[in-house]
Amino acid sequence: MKALRQIAALTRKDFKLQFRSKETLVLIFVFSILVVLIFAFAYGQVFPTETSDRGKLVASVLWATFVFAGIITLNRSFALERTHGALHGIRLTGVDASNVYLSKVISNVVLLMSLEVIITPITLQFFDLFHAVTLGRLLTLFGILSIGTIGFCAVGVLLAAMSTTTSGGESLLSVILLPLVVPIIMSGAKCTVSILTTGAMEETYWLTMLIVSSLVFFASAYLLADVVIEQ
Amino acid sequence: MRLLSTSQISKHIGHRKIVNDVSLTINAGEVVAIFGPNGAGKTTLIKILATLLRPTSGRIHIEDIDVIADYAKVRHLMGVVIHEHLAYPEFTPFENLRFFGQMYGVENLDARCKTLLGEVGLSRFIHEPLHIFSRGMTQRFMIAKALLHDPLILLLDEPFSGLDTSARQFVMDRIAQEQEKGKAILITTHNTELGYHIGTRFHFMIDGTLEASTDKDDISEETLLQKYQDRLIDTGTN
Repeated sequence: MKALRQIAALTRKDFKLQFRSKETLVLIFVFSILVVLIFAFAYGQVFPTETSDRGKLVASVLWATFVFAGIITLNRSFALERTHGALHGIRLTGVDASNVYLSKVISNVVLLMSLEVIITPITLQFFDLFHAVTLGRLLTLFGILSIGTIGFCAVGVLLAAMSTTTSGGESLLSVILLPLVVPIIMSGAKCTVSILTTGAMEETYWLTMLIVSSLVFFASAYLLADVVIEQ
Repeated sequence: MRLLSTSQISKHIGHRKIVNDVSLTINAGEVVAIFGPNGAGKTTLIKILATLLRPTSGRIHIEDIDVIADYAKVRHLMGVVIHEHLAYPEFTPFENLRFFGQMYGVENLDARCKTLLGEVGLSRFIHEPLHIFSRGMTQRFMIAKALLHDPLILLLDEPFSGLDTSARQFVMDRIAQEQEKGKAILITTHNTELGYHIGTRFHFMIDGTLEASTDKDDISEETLLQKYQDRLIDTGTN
């Protein structure tokens, strides 16, 4: 119970910080809209006419947008803790580092999922696919994005905790995170393509890979959290 | 009663010895003052004792707990003031104290936060964000935060820095009150005058090495100051 209370307080604190400064919220929203617009303009001349081709395009746009917005969120999330030694302040209270880790995963997942809920319909509309997607397909799509977001944040929070202690940490995070989350991005993108082009999961292989890789990342990162945050 | 003891702790960064074989004991009701110039290793020593840095070698015990092995067990026993806020500048002092109080599991939290902020003279600024605070106001907040969970040991790194005369007096009075309650207090400072007034035992720290202690009863303020200046001249750090 004590751990749950601490995780709840830490997560509440993260949201309060994010909503008070609004820096990250504005940044990731504007960034995501810009990425979608750039893709929409870039493909304007050669816009695929087939719905299935547009589905493939949207899947890649969505994943590229959320991965890079995720990196911004992760970086900012730990930068706030490091700037004035607040993370040291938390450590000094004797809170288990794994509780700090879990709260960071929760707050980053919620933040990114909120972004996904806003950006996904906008992207579908830009790529003229909104009318072709039923509510069921949209919900399945959010389910896939959620699993991918959890896996991405699970490993991302751990690496952000490490990279923000170094100079040039913001760029370092992209360099070390992206190769690691390839299984999540690949399987997530494949599942998204499948939903947007056929309306169902054609091959369960990619879904299994997405779930398993997210779980493995989450479990490994949770076990390593104590060492990383304490160092 | 011995509350904190260290045995030959060292901290090396690369080939440089920041803290060198420091052995130190602090008893309940004692205020140990460490004097040293900038770069002597005082802050590093405080950070090691506060479990924020791991020493390269040596042992630290708080009561009978091995601090390096069981750091989680001892952290709530310490109140720490260092140069960093150890808090969120976007939050008000009340929000900060409330958050950290929840982490410590402090009871009657709201009342405790308000009382502490009143005691440190920040009642009027209870709803102002920390980032607009002056150095002295931040220092007052840091002291309130260090006392929030009523710790057994206080580790205060340069507690007088940036404070005006009244704030200095407040900090000295507060340290004396905590000493009377039986707390073990370690302060680092390069201000020998203030350090002498509140300390009960003194060490010099030069180039990472802690020199033998002197009890207040055995030395006058003038002699302490003279000895300190002589040591700085000897080592070429003045």
